[in-house]
Amino acid sequence: MSESKGIPIRHIRLNHLSELPNDYGTTPGGTFYSTTPGGTRIIYDRSFLLKCRSSPMANTPPSNLPDIPGVTSPDKSPTRQITKIKEEEEIANKDGSNGKENGDSHKDEEQFDLEI
Amino acid sequence: MNNKFDALKDDDSGSGSEDIKDDSACTFEDVEPGAGEHPLQYTYCFWYSKKPPGRNQDASSFEKNMKIIGTFRSVEQFWRIYSHMIRANDLTGHSDVHVFKGGIKPLWEDKANRLGGKWIVRLRKGLVARCWENLILAMLGEQFMVGDEVCGAVVSIRFQEDIISIWNRSANESQVTSRIRDTLCRVLNLPPNTVMEYKTHNESLKDRSSFRNTEFFTR
Repeated sequence: MSESKGIPIRHIRLNHLSELPNDYGTTPGGTFYSTTPGGTRIIYDRSFLLKCRSSPMANTPPSNLPDIPGVTSPDKSPTRQITKIKEEEEIANKDGSNGKENGDSHKDEEQFDLEI
Repeated sequence: MNNKFDALKDDDSGSGSEDIKDDSACTFEDVEPGAGEHPLQYTYCFWYSKKPPGRNQDASSFEKNMKIIGTFRSVEQFWRIYSHMIRANDLTGHSDVHVFKGGIKPLWEDKANRLGGKWIVRLRKGLVARCWENLILAMLGEQFMVGDEVCGAVVSIRFQEDIISIWNRSANESQVTSRIRDTLCRVLNLPPNTVMEYKTHNESLKDRSSFRNTEFFTR
């Protein structure tokens, strides 16, 4: 039997949140074949999931989608249009860039800082 | 047109009705990932619910107003449904979209939720689409690392704010709830002083409200 050794632990002092590595708190190599205590769990990171969005398999329309106006199909009712315009005005008045949503959030853009 | 004063009244994510049948397992139809698709750890369902304007809700009507949009067990099946839904920023009125594991209803009284609770983050208007997406992707990708504890996630559109929530099975397991909170902060990129709130479903049942009387935690 080999000698047992303690698991080496490295202490790092961070002076600022920006020094936190991007992969803090993630499973190393964290995709499909990662093993976690208690068995293998299927783990996907965000960028992998976003990449899958553009595959042909992800783009065929689902067969049984119920028709819910405003949720699964555009809601063209007049009250919706009024609410939408009001909300957009409010957002535009509050601040410049962070309030506006881009059309394609599925692109892997940098995460902006939230001002809540 | 939604009466804005009604919107300020509290909402339920559960009905508080004693008539809830605990037959969630019976009504759930499981699906398989398609050939060549990337399987998820669990099956999930998209649910939608909307509070009808004006009327006071009676206890059982909440469950009646809830509808399954689709069921998925693979990454591709998820995108198929999600891509064909309106973005969270464009949802209107007093409505909620829920993504819950197959067999768990997004109701306080469901067997899986009775001892559970939820973290909530309140967002000003305009931010919800990105946060909601990041939250679901983290949940589906098993980023929370709390075994089987996560039950589902909810996005709630309200009059002057939007709220995202993540529900877990055991409200009293502080290691679990702490880990969920930390992961939430990471995946949503929340600023350091963000207030996060936790509420047990038992409390929600007592005060018939989803988002009032929460416990506050500063990160």
